[in-house]
Amino acid sequence: MKTISLPLSEAPVPTQAWPAPLLASLHRTAGLLFGSRLNAALTLAFGAMLTVAVPPMLRWLVLDAVLFNPDPAACRAASGACWSFIYAKSGQLLFGIYPVDERWRPALVCLLILALLGWSVRPASWTPRLLGLWIAALALIVWLMGGGLGFEEVPTSAWGGLPVTLILTVVAIGIAFPVGILLALGRRSTMPAVRIAAVVGIESVRGLPLLSILFVASIMLPLFLPEALLPDKFVRALVALTIFAAAYLAEVIRGGLQAIPKGQYEAAAALGLPFWRTQYLVILPQAIRVVIPALANTIIVMIKNTSLVLVVGLFDLISSGKAALADPAWPSPAAETFLFIGAIFFALSFSFARFADFLERRGPVAR
Amino acid sequence: MLSDARTRSIVIQCLLVAAVIGAASLLVTTTFTNLQTRGIPIGFDFLTMPSRIVISEAILSYKSRDPYYWAIVVGLANTVFISALVIVFSSVLGLIVGVTRLSSNPLAAGTCRVWVEIARNSPPIVLLIFLYSLWWKVLPPVGQALNPVPGVFASMRGVMVPSLHISMATAGVALILVAGLLVLAARLAGGLRKFRSALSWAAAAVILFGLWMADVGFSIDWPVFAGSNFRGGLELTPELSTILIGLTIYTTGFIAEIVRGGVLSVGSGQLDAGRSVGLSRAQILRLIVIPQMLRVIVPPLNSQYINVVKNSTLAIAVGYPDFLAVMNTIISKSSHSIEGVFIILGVYLALNLTLSSAANWYNRRIAIVER
Repeated sequence: MKTISLPLSEAPVPTQAWPAPLLASLHRTAGLLFGSRLNAALTLAFGAMLTVAVPPMLRWLVLDAVLFNPDPAACRAASGACWSFIYAKSGQLLFGIYPVDERWRPALVCLLILALLGWSVRPASWTPRLLGLWIAALALIVWLMGGGLGFEEVPTSAWGGLPVTLILTVVAIGIAFPVGILLALGRRSTMPAVRIAAVVGIESVRGLPLLSILFVASIMLPLFLPEALLPDKFVRALVALTIFAAAYLAEVIRGGLQAIPKGQYEAAAALGLPFWRTQYLVILPQAIRVVIPALANTIIVMIKNTSLVLVVGLFDLISSGKAALADPAWPSPAAETFLFIGAIFFALSFSFARFADFLERRGPVAR
Repeated sequence: MLSDARTRSIVIQCLLVAAVIGAASLLVTTTFTNLQTRGIPIGFDFLTMPSRIVISEAILSYKSRDPYYWAIVVGLANTVFISALVIVFSSVLGLIVGVTRLSSNPLAAGTCRVWVEIARNSPPIVLLIFLYSLWWKVLPPVGQALNPVPGVFASMRGVMVPSLHISMATAGVALILVAGLLVLAARLAGGLRKFRSALSWAAAAVILFGLWMADVGFSIDWPVFAGSNFRGGLELTPELSTILIGLTIYTTGFIAEIVRGGVLSVGSGQLDAGRSVGLSRAQILRLIVIPQMLRVIVPPLNSQYINVVKNSTLAIAVGYPDFLAVMNTIISKSSHSIEGVFIILGVYLALNLTLSSAANWYNRRIAIVER
């Protein structure tokens, strides 16, 4: 009797309980995790690592953390993170030492820059009009941040936090881009004096750490320049960042220029186009499209580099964080503050990286 | 006349040279007038004077009555020390993480992907300051130091590792022996070539045995907890450990991506070909994948290594006296800012040019082996 009932009990009962696609995907996952000896070992090693690391991190980050209760005593009592500090101090963290009553101005500037960045990454809006839009926006930004013409004046030494980071990034890259193109063209020039000047400029900047260039800009410029020509600290840091970005962008663009076949130059020459029109109409549009991924990488490096201006005393996000931590009323949650600042940089850089991926996936350059 | 291409090019170049000379002379004259009005002396003779600056920790021995030039050398040694360790650690870790990212195991690949994304998208200085702020929060006091591997202790005061004590005489003898061994290995005749690695191992064993027998001062110094603190071994302070760990985490992310690109650049047909002639998995890796991968990854690795040297200046953010931090102190102490800046620029250019020419030499070598 039993021998007859066995095959019957193996009838499709389990497959009814487990829908076939789910079972198949479970099977596939199990195969990926434990399919071979190597995979099983990897799963065990990484699984053990994650079970050791993740639960305490989760407990600290969320479960034991003080989230919104704006009471320093609650933070002292809790064993987890003190997010309410970030919540309570967000104004100071984001805008630094900017006058409290005027904080809506830097907030508006940040929104404006982010909105314009969002608009600019759409390939459909890449027209000469975009440049005009940015120039108008920059004028508006300088007016909003600096004041004058009806607003209370705020010197650059009182600017701080996120708007400083955003303005330095956008303006340094904006100026460095055309300078980088000129340097790249100079490096490929047939005129020896121009080529040597470009090579010396690019290579000496690329051989140096950005910090040393920032130091030179802050220590040396007061000695180099007559008093009347000396720009303030903000502009000096901006100049250092721009020089640095221009040298790196120049090398990226040179790569693109090298990828353009000679026939393109000859075709432009056959049409009788002069040098600058050849570059503007024929060569540069192709060269820049070729190197879009590398350009995106360089720009991400630039976004991260703006964090270095703190060592020459500019009040960027990190300095704002350090200043906020100095408040004796709170238990000084340094790790949380720097996580928050790191998260802002991460959001900026990561979204730009995803944008670069999107550009890459848009397909190869049509030829 | 300007329509003639050659004339135009000469005019442009003359204008450029004139502009460069004009700007340079303007800079030099204003600098000299500025220096004179402020009464700042100029010249490199301050280098031999006692520095009286404090360098909180150093690889080479340093006292504050040592001259300025020695302070500069000490700072430079710190920079080279950090860079070398970070380069070694992140290369090894980057190889592992990069290969694991290609694994079919979602758990392993995903964890490594998170690492890479965090490293690539957060500024290293924020990473360093964050790790530094964790130091006193996460690690136990010195009495209850963590002991993950025998001989290694981690506590609030820093990380203790065993150190190697070698007397100068031993080091000299060992260097000469190793050099001789290298020359021997390079000159071995073709017939003996297949025994080369065995011979090298044997020679190395003989050298070590000889050094041990001779007892000319070669010992491992284990850190031991005594009373209230550790004795012996090498102490990595929280500052130094933070920089080493932070820069290694950061650089590993980039090297992992380079390695991943390198592995992917070796076509799968190459692997099939290796399998079809009956090579084992290890042989395929050693004979087919790695040689072809090296050609692709050496140039970008080179620029990562140069980035490590440049990023080591971020040590300043957590207060470790690297070369730039020492130079900054010297400049503010001695007010020889121009000379100081020239030394800074010269040293970093020299360091990076040395690194890149070494890598270029290696690059040319593997390119020749390849074809």
